[in-house]
Amino acid sequence: MAHAASTRVQTRIGDPLSGAPPVPQAKLEQIFKDIQSDLRYDHELNGCLNCGICTATCPAAHYYDFSPREIVQLLWTENLEGIYDAMQEKIWACAQCYTCAARCPFGNSPGGLVMLMRETAIKHGMESAKSVLRPFSRVMLKLISTGNQLAPDMITRDHFPDWGPNVSKIDAPLKILRKAIPMATLNTTATAWEVNLRTSVELYTIWEETGVLKQLETIDENLFDVITDFMDEKREEWQDWLAEQEDGAD
Amino acid sequence: MTTSHDRPAGERFTGHGSEWRDANLSPGEARIATAWVEQKVDRRSMLTGKERVADVRDLMWQLEKDGEIVVHRVSEGHQPVVVKTLYGWDKKIPTQRLWHHKSCGQCGNIPGYPVSLLWLMNELGVEYLDETDQTSCTAWNYHGSGIGNLESLAAVFLRNFHQAYVAARAQGLPDGYYYPLVHCGTSFGNYKEVRGYLLHSAKLRERVRQILGKLGRLVDGKLLIPEEVVHYSEWVHVMRQRIAERRQIDCSGIRATIHPACHVYKMVPEDAIYDDAILGGNRLAVSTGLMEALGARVIDYSTWYDCCGFGFRHIISEREFTRSFAIDRKIRVAVEEARADLMIGHDTGCITTLDKNQWIGKAAGKPVELPVMADCQFAALACGAHPYKIVQLHWHASATEVLMEKLGIDWRAKKAEFEAYLEQVKGGKQENLYDPRRMITSGPGYVRIAARP
Repeated sequence: MAHAASTRVQTRIGDPLSGAPPVPQAKLEQIFKDIQSDLRYDHELNGCLNCGICTATCPAAHYYDFSPREIVQLLWTENLEGIYDAMQEKIWACAQCYTCAARCPFGNSPGGLVMLMRETAIKHGMESAKSVLRPFSRVMLKLISTGNQLAPDMITRDHFPDWGPNVSKIDAPLKILRKAIPMATLNTTATAWEVNLRTSVELYTIWEETGVLKQLETIDENLFDVITDFMDEKREEWQDWLAEQEDGAD
Repeated sequence: MTTSHDRPAGERFTGHGSEWRDANLSPGEARIATAWVEQKVDRRSMLTGKERVADVRDLMWQLEKDGEIVVHRVSEGHQPVVVKTLYGWDKKIPTQRLWHHKSCGQCGNIPGYPVSLLWLMNELGVEYLDETDQTSCTAWNYHGSGIGNLESLAAVFLRNFHQAYVAARAQGLPDGYYYPLVHCGTSFGNYKEVRGYLLHSAKLRERVRQILGKLGRLVDGKLLIPEEVVHYSEWVHVMRQRIAERRQIDCSGIRATIHPACHVYKMVPEDAIYDDAILGGNRLAVSTGLMEALGARVIDYSTWYDCCGFGFRHIISEREFTRSFAIDRKIRVAVEEARADLMIGHDTGCITTLDKNQWIGKAAGKPVELPVMADCQFAALACGAHPYKIVQLHWHASATEVLMEKLGIDWRAKKAEFEAYLEQVKGGKQENLYDPRRMITSGPGYVRIAARP
């Protein structure tokens, strides 16, 4: 690989404090290759003079040990160990606001590069990615199985205690409050809107064809099993409906 | 230009930090100083002072000419209004025959947001379709988790937009009759970004074409690409004068702050609307233009450029960041610096974050109170919509009651009316903004009915 061969960092140092073994050079190269192979990479990384406009305007940099300038520099200088290190924790600090991208004089998108690194962390099944995404599994379950990321029944006092004692300022059962919304598509509690059965089935094809289910399996096998069971049920339901239509036509 | 000499007593020059002190310049000195600053600092230059910015629509038309794609046009039937974007390019905003591309966060958590929009459309006689055959853009999950990829985002985008193109078939109307109107700011930013990559990459187009072919979502074997990706706030913006004509409540006493949404104007910034008549063209025009048309005073503040703190993953599992940022960088600044009566947004995550996180500030001994809602919700309120049946303010955690009192709305009486209405709903008699049979356009439950008269 041309990029890896020209990298400045040739010696792996491991971690002298924890005694963690060095990450094999081949693995570091593969991770970098995977990040670079995305067609967005060359669009989102054009050069960097370390001006720091991105970090100066970054919300996450106010609160975390995170700097979009550092992310760009690690990639620009092909610092393979630094990239690997940043993928353990730092990339998950980014708030994905793209303020950095809007401001960068070079037209870089540090936020976009972070996404390529997150995707790669998942592809390689990094423990850090598994750990950071564990609290997100409820959202992934909802999104991948229904196509809706958020549903009314997910907003509860138990899950959002810091949002105050009442989900609604008018005390009534959720089902009734939702029925009182004068958009018929929204009279639901388990999804944000009623989703057509065909829509769900088409979405499952997209997940399969684009490798999203594979990503999910890598990061959380149990969640993968639950979701694929759900998908099978929905598909059967769709097939049954199609069969009914054919029977009706006969 | 305003100077200390012609401002009302006690009125602060807005848009500066709390450390600002009046220099007491004479009008002449102030003019010279302001002219110098205007020459040196143009806030838009932070966005426009770059190389290699091209209008991706040029590529789109060429690809259509080459027979690679089909473009879903904003036609005369959509009654478009042309606006100017960041670089002065034209953008066509359809105002009629709209297909609502809903937002999962709005529908799940802030239902008064889409309801207010549809209510405004009913008031203005706008034809639309709200249907069940759509997914969310899936970009909230993607940006939060990294689960998903460019291909999946592109396939979801083109599937949903293809459905918008063919949805009118269910009513016996031609393809392209409805034009998609995207409710969520993240969907808007994501779809525009993905459209750009699709237009630039033949490899991505071919991969997605194979997937959409399996779904039966091609037009003459080709990908269908929208001429414009349009956000609902852009529709509200071009309709603002017509909305203002229906205003029933005096808004002149309202000091409003605007939170411009990052994914609306920082993602693909060249497509965002700017208007020299609105805050000198130095701020995104949407929402501000509406509030000014309604007669409210829009007050600038020093952290206008900051994000809300939503963070996609952070709102779920890094909440300390989200609430700290929302309170310290946005709400507190708007209250203390701009002395705002409310904060207006135009995106799902921002409204949720800025609204819901105020309660914990109170609990932590850092009370800060500012009503938060979407531009279309405020517009509906100002035009006489019911604050609970339509604007659905009971889902908001912030002090919307204080705002309603300032607007002269008896919210206690309105709340009692709504509670009585809930009894009616329990009996199965709820009201709808449209014929609910229209929401299913295929599959189980579909009933063919004629187009709206």
